[in-house]
Amino acid sequence: MPDLSVTLAGVKLKNPILPASGTLETVDTPMLAGDLSQLGALVNKTVTRDRRDGNPPPRVWETAAGMLNSVGIPSIGIDEFMKGGLPRLRARNDRIIVSIAGFSVREFVELAETVAAAGLADFIELNLSCPNLESGVLWSTDSGLLAEVVGGVRRAVNVPLIAKLSPNVTDIAEMAAVAESAGADALGLVNTFRGLAIDVRVKKPALGNTTGGLSGPAVKPLALYAVWSSYRRVRIPIVGMGGICSWRDAIEFMLAGATAVAVGMYNFVEPGCMWEIRDGIDRYLAENGFNGAKDIIGLAHRNQ
Amino acid sequence: MESNAYTRTAIVRTVKNAPAGYLDLTIEEPAIAGAARPGQFVMLRFGRTLDPILPRPFDIVETVGNGRSFRLIIKIVGAATRLLESVRTGDEVRVTGPLGAPITDFNCRSLALLVRGCGAAAVIAFLQEARRRGIAVHSVLSASSASKFILRDEFAALSDTLILATDDGSAGEKALGTDVLRRLLAERKVDRVYSCGGGPFYLPFLEEWERSKISPVYLFLESYMACGFGHCHGCAVPRRDGGYSLVCRDGPLFRLSEVKDPCLIYQ
Repeated sequence: MPDLSVTLAGVKLKNPILPASGTLETVDTPMLAGDLSQLGALVNKTVTRDRRDGNPPPRVWETAAGMLNSVGIPSIGIDEFMKGGLPRLRARNDRIIVSIAGFSVREFVELAETVAAAGLADFIELNLSCPNLESGVLWSTDSGLLAEVVGGVRRAVNVPLIAKLSPNVTDIAEMAAVAESAGADALGLVNTFRGLAIDVRVKKPALGNTTGGLSGPAVKPLALYAVWSSYRRVRIPIVGMGGICSWRDAIEFMLAGATAVAVGMYNFVEPGCMWEIRDGIDRYLAENGFNGAKDIIGLAHRNQ
Repeated sequence: MESNAYTRTAIVRTVKNAPAGYLDLTIEEPAIAGAARPGQFVMLRFGRTLDPILPRPFDIVETVGNGRSFRLIIKIVGAATRLLESVRTGDEVRVTGPLGAPITDFNCRSLALLVRGCGAAAVIAFLQEARRRGIAVHSVLSASSASKFILRDEFAALSDTLILATDDGSAGEKALGTDVLRRLLAERKVDRVYSCGGGPFYLPFLEEWERSKISPVYLFLESYMACGFGHCHGCAVPRRDGGYSLVCRDGPLFRLSEVKDPCLIYQ
């Protein structure tokens, strides 16, 4: 039996499969999926300092092989999250990634300090790339801001940091290098691509917030390239995501250089898909004679 | 909240193309059919296509076949429902359900119901339970034309009074659904008013009635949604006290006074 475990920034995960932030509610909603303790880690929907309602509807719009969303991070706020959400999340898996978003460097730092002080997070994901927040993607499209926010949080906490970056840049490998230099322990590649749909019946933008973030299989080759090019540039590990629907997609991301993979939009289509993907990776490794999942990370580069 | 929802591959047992523009399906899936309660729905996907990729929400009209199957009535409106037009008896579909908050509040003795078009599909199971509990049901069924009524026989069987209204006068009265409801409410006192379908055309009267405080108004809402089980946060309906509710998790039935601008998602 192949060993599915991987080590992400010094922390061992029992397998490389995670939900992408905001696509698998782990508290207070129906649990349709499989056993949450059997995923590599759990990730909360990004939490902000203050309570937020999110954006006006419509918030989702289907596109060819994908969807746009303009949900806009509804959040219970950090205090409620620390009291209720995080302990409940912790009870469901022994590896937890806490995803946070701030509206200033100071807010990011304070959020990270609050999370770190509780000692319940194995990683902090800095969501530097939400296309549905005013100035949300700026954090990872402006290299100066990126260095400032990652560096600021780095100096404040010792918890491993995952910098989740926007694909809406000319050269994501360059931004990956900036995040690495500023002290990120891992990268989340990639968040959604900013996009637009127009409802021809009403002749105006389909989403309540005008633009949205595109995810789903439509973006997979773009996301895979982001992982590929960043892997060649940085030494820190990568959590790959963008349109993963099957074990084959997940394997592609790992061969391109991802240490772990996150499933996003497809959780909405097939709530059990992450467990099927894990089993598919297991079969693939066995059939191809690999001892473990870590053996295929970045292998496509070496096989070139 | 503990869920009793399942994602299953289910078999289509019967397919009827009636009336024109609608599909009437029976789907065999005992776990989902057995767990379904009034007000609930399923997310359904036919064919593992990439476009459309998302499943679509459809109300469970009723449970049939000794509780082993459920019935859906689907209006053909877009890419996913056009794809469903090719479904045949024996085909497999992917179904997640039952979803939505079951309706458990039947604390009334009488109700009036205004339904337009395919909105009828959402309320049959609710009416069956209301009747079982001895609640008097007074229904107004509205459509553009006689050929556009769905579930007309079911409404007749489940209503103490049933008034039909069409835009063109081809069946029942040539009248607006809300005008017929206004008259009905003037003639008899009911404890509650329910409405499904009709979108923005019905809201002005329903809001006027809610403000009158004679009897509270409840709406069955629908919305675009990606998942149907509270994870995507796509089907947000603004709440009057601020923030949003989710149609899939908190609905589909809402007290009108609790929501704001339901037209944003109520089509």
